[in-house]
Amino acid sequence: MRRASFVLAVSSVLAAALPGLPVQAQVTAGQGDAGHGRKLFLADGCYQCHGTSGEGGGVFGPKLAPAPLSYEAVLQQLRSPRARMPVYTAKVLPDAGAADIYAYLRSIPKAKPASEIPLLNLK
Amino acid sequence: MEDQANLGLRRRNFLKGAALSGVAATATAASTLAQAQPGPSQQGTSDPNTPRRQGAVTLKDESTPRNRELTYSSCGGDYMVDVMRSLGIEYFAATPGNTFMGLHEAIINYGMTTAPNLRFLTTMHEEASVAMAHGYAKIEGKPMACGMHTAVGLQHASMAIYNAWCDRVPVFMITGASIDATRRNLWVDWDHAAQDGAAMVRDYTKWDDQPGSLRAFGDSAVRAYKFAMTPPYGPTLLAVDTLMQEDPIPGDKPPPIPRLPSLSAPAAEEGAVRDTAKMLVEAENPVIFADRCARTPEGLRLLVELAEALQAPVIDSSNRLNFPWRHPLNQTASQRGLISRADVLLELEPGDPFAVSAERSPDGEVRSLMQSGSKRITISSVDLYMKSNYQDFQRLPLDVDLAMAADAQATLPSLIEEVKRQLPDSRKAAIAARGTRFAHTHQLALQRARDAATYGWDDSPISMPRLCQELYAEIKDEDWSLVSGTLFQSHWPQQLWSADKHYQYIGEQGGAGIGYTAPATLGAALANQKHGRLSVCINGDGDLMFGPGVLWTAAHEKIPLLYIIHNNRGYHMEIMQLQAIADRRQRGIDRVHIGCEIANPNIDYAMLARSMGVYGQGPIDNPRDLGPAIRRAIEVVKKGEPALIDVVSQGR
Ligand code: HEC
Ligand SMILES: Cc1ncc(C[n+]2csc(CCOP(=O)(O)OP(=O)(O)O)c2C)c(N)n1
Ligand SMILES: [Mg+2]
Repeated sequence: MRRASFVLAVSSVLAAALPGLPVQAQVTAGQGDAGHGRKLFLADGCYQCHGTSGEGGGVFGPKLAPAPLSYEAVLQQLRSPRARMPVYTAKVLPDAGAADIYAYLRSIPKAKPASEIPLLNLK
Repeated sequence: MEDQANLGLRRRNFLKGAALSGVAATATAASTLAQAQPGPSQQGTSDPNTPRRQGAVTLKDESTPRNRELTYSSCGGDYMVDVMRSLGIEYFAATPGNTFMGLHEAIINYGMTTAPNLRFLTTMHEEASVAMAHGYAKIEGKPMACGMHTAVGLQHASMAIYNAWCDRVPVFMITGASIDATRRNLWVDWDHAAQDGAAMVRDYTKWDDQPGSLRAFGDSAVRAYKFAMTPPYGPTLLAVDTLMQEDPIPGDKPPPIPRLPSLSAPAAEEGAVRDTAKMLVEAENPVIFADRCARTPEGLRLLVELAEALQAPVIDSSNRLNFPWRHPLNQTASQRGLISRADVLLELEPGDPFAVSAERSPDGEVRSLMQSGSKRITISSVDLYMKSNYQDFQRLPLDVDLAMAADAQATLPSLIEEVKRQLPDSRKAAIAARGTRFAHTHQLALQRARDAATYGWDDSPISMPRLCQELYAEIKDEDWSLVSGTLFQSHWPQQLWSADKHYQYIGEQGGAGIGYTAPATLGAALANQKHGRLSVCINGDGDLMFGPGVLWTAAHEKIPLLYIIHNNRGYHMEIMQLQAIADRRQRGIDRVHIGCEIANPNIDYAMLARSMGVYGQGPIDNPRDLGPAIRRAIEVVKKGEPALIDVVSQGR
């Protein structure tokens, strides 16, 4: 069993809080499985730096959603990160898994505009 | 009134109970303890039938007031109280210990009962005492005192001292000293004695002394205060003889209290200021980087004046509120681009000047972001005073052209004057156009931050921007002060809130020593209390658990402060780094929770707070519940009490 209990604890909170994931996304590259991709996004710790919805964590991990880079660019970042991000070799995260994560990132819908969220329009 | 015999008995029982707690020992106490715990030195003498050894050495020690006189009416401690209040010191935070008990007694029975008041604050860890003083000073602009038991207490305090040192913050510290070894009573008095107690923390205190007389205490206290308050500010330490605190004042006449002069910070040399002004005035793309520049509200006002005179962009590190967060010239969000385009970069008290302009490529090549021919100027008081061992002075910057060893805030008035004097009318239109451009980019950055904040807005665990905005909505119409740092919240407050007062934000730990936030925010809240400000902080779960006893201090001392616990159920910073190592070794991250998670079991922070008399709510994991919870907690804080909300949050 490869999944950390810690990760499971967090993801079960998420599963409870966020039902109805958009499972089938319009994946153009890799044709991955977004539902499985989300699981990997949590289990492989991507969320620790990029947030559970890819919303970003400041300098610790940029925002990834909604429209990520091309699949090739994401794969490149995983296999050979630009700067501070951990490296994910195929042994840790096979290509199929990377494609699933990519599908998940693609499936994250565009958020509601800031203008519609009163708390984001405080003076 | 109880008679002497009863008192004696009560005292003996107390000491028996307290056994080895290090309470001031009388001769009676010593013999009680000897019975309870025969040590090697007492062996052979405890049995009255053992014949005394022939020709045994007998000693007659100097008598101590502890066994000489039952009562006396003057004491060194009272004089020390008077010296401290002459310096404007209002508080003395401490976890008690008998090496400064003579002073402790003087504070509670003299300092706290006569004006101007010197109040004793009870802490539950010496690190909390110093961190409270650290936070207090950043709000109040002056030190408060704290006391540490000799050896063990100071050992506990040391990390907090290091934080204050790295953060250039004044703290007035006192530890005990037991100078005359023949007047120590018990083994514990030996354990809690050091020939040079301050040595342990000397590498990160600005100055220390062990005064040899009361009169010298007066001089040294004033000198300690003066050094602490001369930029670069820093913590200072006096090791004060325990008996000097306790003994009657010789002749019952306290020495005079030395006068503290008004202190003037060192400003930069005139010629260098003139040259700097010239470069700034002529620059096309001048940039100002401010780190620990604004020591006081005046520093903030001056920096605005300089930036506006030049219409130059300001990058404000998150170590102080140097520059209003929503000022159009605040360009913190564009740091990298600005520095790479700058033709003149002025850095005011940079904590890490290397990092301001250096860029490291993945293959390890280090280069300057700045273009060739650009000029880089630093004004730093840290250049005036540095120590060798701990490396908080950071890496030598690559490309500084002019380094002024001076206090930046004290230099700003002459620099502003020179800039205004040298600014030709012909440059004014171009400079104004620059300002318009920056006002536009500031708005763009704000909009970008708002857009970014929308992602994960309704998530659970609660996102950082959501947490910050729920908090801001409830405080923005109050006279608020955010007394915690924001790095672990990805600086969302700086990105989304409006703040233009120096006290609204006071920066981070200084030395990145975790365990700072819970006590330092409380010290800052204490300072804010008398100004009627609403103090709030966002406190990591890991940080709080270094010394949760601070919650009891908050309740006991009735200090109003809203603690929002950023509960990511772990030492999140370390989780991120540990998994990077595990991934590089291709072993997966299945086990990286070990040593990093704070779960299994989860800690109930609201219950923890309530157990110590602090209003507590949570855990809150639904973002919709957060606003109402904050409103309820603020009601409590407005009544003058602390409150805590446990928020189950994203890592960053
Ligand atoms: C320890 C923190 C951390 C973890 C874990 C992490 N990342 Fe990153 N990620 C970063 C940082 C920091 C960057 C910025 C570039 C760099 O430093 O390499 C980044 C950049 C990226 C980018 C490029 C974004 C852009 O717009 O340029 C992608 C895509 C990405 N990460 C995906 C992932 C995925 C997928 C995972 C999990 C398999 C993951 N990251 C795990 C920190 C992290
Ligand atoms: C005294 C001390 N011990 C350990 C560390 C290493 N460290 C840096 S950040 C961190 C995590 C702190 O936990 P928390 O306050 O919960 O913040 P989080 O990173 O989880 O947001 C630790 C342990 C440190 N900086 N200081
Ligand atoms: Mg934490």
